Amino acid sequence: MGLEKLVELRGIVKRFPGVIANDHVDFELRCGEVHALLGENGAGKTTLMNILYGLYQPDEGEIYIKGNRVRLRSPSDAIKLGIGMVHQNFKLVESHTVLENVILGLKEPGIRIDFEKHARKIGLLAERYGWRIDPEVKVWQLSAGEKQQVELLKILYRGADILILDEPTSVLTPQETKTLFEALRKMAAEGRGIIFITHKLGEVMEVSDRVTVMRRGRVVVTKKTSEVTKSELANYMIGRPVIFSLEKVEAKPGKVLMRLIDLEALSDKGAPALNKVSLEVRSGEILGIAGISGNGQVELAEVIVGLRKALRGKVIIDGLDVTNRSSKELIELGVAYIPPESVRWGVLPELRIVDNLFLKAYRYPPYSSNLILNWRRMFEKARKLIEEFDVITPSIFSKARSLSGGNIQRLVLARELSGLIGGAPRLIIAAYPTKGLDIGAAEFVHKLLLKHKSMGSGILFISEDLEELLMLSDRIAVMSGGRIVGILSREEASVEKLGLMMSEALPQAW
Amino acid sequence: MSLRIKTRFGILRIERRLSYTRMFSAAMSILSIALAFAVVGIILVIMGLDPIRAFSLIFGVYVKPPLLLESIKQSIPICLSALGLGIAFKMNFWNIGAEGQLYMGMIASTGIVLLHEYYGFFQGWMLLPLMLASSFILGGAWCLITGFLKAKLSVNEILPTLMLNYVAILVVDFLVHGPWRDPKGYGFPLSIEFPSYAKLTLIYGSSAYTGLLLSIAAAAAVFVLMEYTRPGFEIKVVGQSVNVARYAGISVSGVIMLGSFLSGGLAGVGGLSIVSGIIGRLRPGASPGYGYTAIIVASLAGLNPWLIVVTSIFFGGLLTAGGALQMNMGIPGSATQMIEAIIFLLILVGEFLKRYRLILERGVRD
Repeated sequence: MGLEKLVELRGIVKRFPGVIANDHVDFELRCGEVHALLGENGAGKTTLMNILYGLYQPDEGEIYIKGNRVRLRSPSDAIKLGIGMVHQNFKLVESHTVLENVILGLKEPGIRIDFEKHARKIGLLAERYGWRIDPEVKVWQLSAGEKQQVELLKILYRGADILILDEPTSVLTPQETKTLFEALRKMAAEGRGIIFITHKLGEVMEVSDRVTVMRRGRVVVTKKTSEVTKSELANYMIGRPVIFSLEKVEAKPGKVLMRLIDLEALSDKGAPALNKVSLEVRSGEILGIAGISGNGQVELAEVIVGLRKALRGKVIIDGLDVTNRSSKELIELGVAYIPPESVRWGVLPELRIVDNLFLKAYRYPPYSSNLILNWRRMFEKARKLIEEFDVITPSIFSKARSLSGGNIQRLVLARELSGLIGGAPRLIIAAYPTKGLDIGAAEFVHKLLLKHKSMGSGILFISEDLEELLMLSDRIAVMSGGRIVGILSREEASVEKLGLMMSEALPQAW
Repeated sequence: MSLRIKTRFGILRIERRLSYTRMFSAAMSILSIALAFAVVGIILVIMGLDPIRAFSLIFGVYVKPPLLLESIKQSIPICLSALGLGIAFKMNFWNIGAEGQLYMGMIASTGIVLLHEYYGFFQGWMLLPLMLASSFILGGAWCLITGFLKAKLSVNEILPTLMLNYVAILVVDFLVHGPWRDPKGYGFPLSIEFPSYAKLTLIYGSSAYTGLLLSIAAAAAVFVLMEYTRPGFEIKVVGQSVNVARYAGISVSGVIMLGSFLSGGLAGVGGLSIVSGIIGRLRPGASPGYGYTAIIVASLAGLNPWLIVVTSIFFGGLLTAGGALQMNMGIPGSATQMIEAIIFLLILVGEFLKRYRLILERGVRD
């Protein structure tokens, strides 16, 4: 491993109104290393990397690339210096081929593009990292893991030797993650430097050579990965010890609360999304739904809560056939829904926090009578709720968009689970409730779900994070291609088994 | 993140301001209006006219009592339509059909008067309340056509609302050229003149007072609707996100239909204020584009009902000033519309500059 410094950031300061996102941050990346950048959401990791990628200008501080002091005014400056970044959301043209995506934006003299030459070279490059990608395939046909490989190819093809990956595993199956890590090790061995942004401790331990932990805009520590333990890292990251295993709440399943019988439904694009899904959720039970996203989980949740039409099959809640009832009726039956990507689907960023808290309850007494809203009641209750759910905000009149991701999720939880409409919810549909949250906020969600389980709610818990599923669920159903491919009890289930079920069922389903 | 434009002087960067104060916002608005008048002044000079005299005429409109009353009168249809548009725009329903809804309101009002005058229906005192109700309903129904199409068939509202304007205007043309023409009107395409008890001259003999009361009452009603009632809350939620509204269990199509009806209804009452407040009868081209001015007013006032009342009076004044300029200085009436447009444009620029800052990076190598 070379010791040459590829990147050195010295005393980087970046202020946003009211916050210091980066407070005198020092960071270095050497040749041939995978350097994990660990921290909770809002710790300043992404801001720092956006500065290195030329998206933001630092207010103070110096940037050295390969020993030269530089000013990065835009990503194109960064790209010229050999820096490449894979964002969390892929930036690919879906209707174009892999080849077209990779060579898009290449600066090459002449007007004729030698597609064949490029295709050959891209094919070879992919092979080197053990990826099987046909350059002629259209990007929309690829899985999330393959799309990520295309993003990496794009960067490598431009000869980048400083790679930034922003939470690259959040969309991958365990198997795909393994492939990615192998490729990253190989790229590092070839002398590149890789910065790996993450908030998952397991990944840090598995793939990185060194790790830098950030908290509240500052670097807490930079260490060799071999010299730290997982719990030390967690300590650095959130500034207090974390409990890794939740106290398990014994399942005392009661009567069947919800029964799904042979449900079928279409996706937004009109393709079959659910294929004869049958499930049961008992009260006092958490049923986990595992699967790679986009295999029908969200559609399943939406059919249950009345936001998507069931073509065939039945949804029975508490013995009542509620198939294709309106979402209003389901809300009134005590069905709470924590939607995926709350930021987009669960809150209205331009409205106030109090409006968002009462997005459903505003029409029921005591918060309104006849057609008139009782704001005083709502204000009082809202103040209590933000305290109880620990939503950090200056006031209930602030706009929801001023909240961080974790706080938005707390707001959604407060609305859904605090029993604003006729007492605690009986059935909770939680779709990816911890996605993108940091450890502290995720822990809060977990505890809350367990609390409601012990209070006798039935919970359908959709997640991609297998460890989380194993930790919380009493039973885990695996979804693939819109079907339930198997249901395991907590005792039977393991990460390996679930991962295998998730991916193996794929080819025959599609 | 920022947008960059290469110029010969360096790189121009457009960056989003993360926040700005109320003071800054107010200063920007005043600056844009001042700048607008400066531009208008330059144009007047080019036209060989005395800008100071022109401006003193324009501002005189807001000071001299008879002209101020006239300005208020002119502001009523603008204000009522803009209040309606405020509801629609909050709902993210781009109603640009206030003009047509005004005409439908005029038809309804005139219809009631004619039923009374020709057939002896209703007693005199019943006329105004009936005209109010019917103009609201017909204006609302006119907008509801589009609201229904959007709610049930997801039709985009912009084209239908716009096109229905022409339909409404032509219906009025047909009526006053045909069945509703004043038999004693020497063949002119006019309806009969309204009796005094069908006019908005209840207070001090000028429709400005009654009209202003009507505007303020409507503004108060809109304010209460939007801030303190369930439908108002639902309208706001639907306007922010249809998906989140569905998730909250709100009947999106119901809200769109209700909101569009209310929006058109207010414009319909604006129509009443034209025929019984300004003209006193129905004639072709009764509105010189109040419904379009209302779009400007609603957006300049930031959809705030109280600011809509004030802003309408400002624009009503510009209309009145147009007449004064024409008479006293021979400036064509279209010049007022030009002034209106320049003010609007510059305020839009001001709004942009409130949200974004421009930075010129000089001498940057590329």
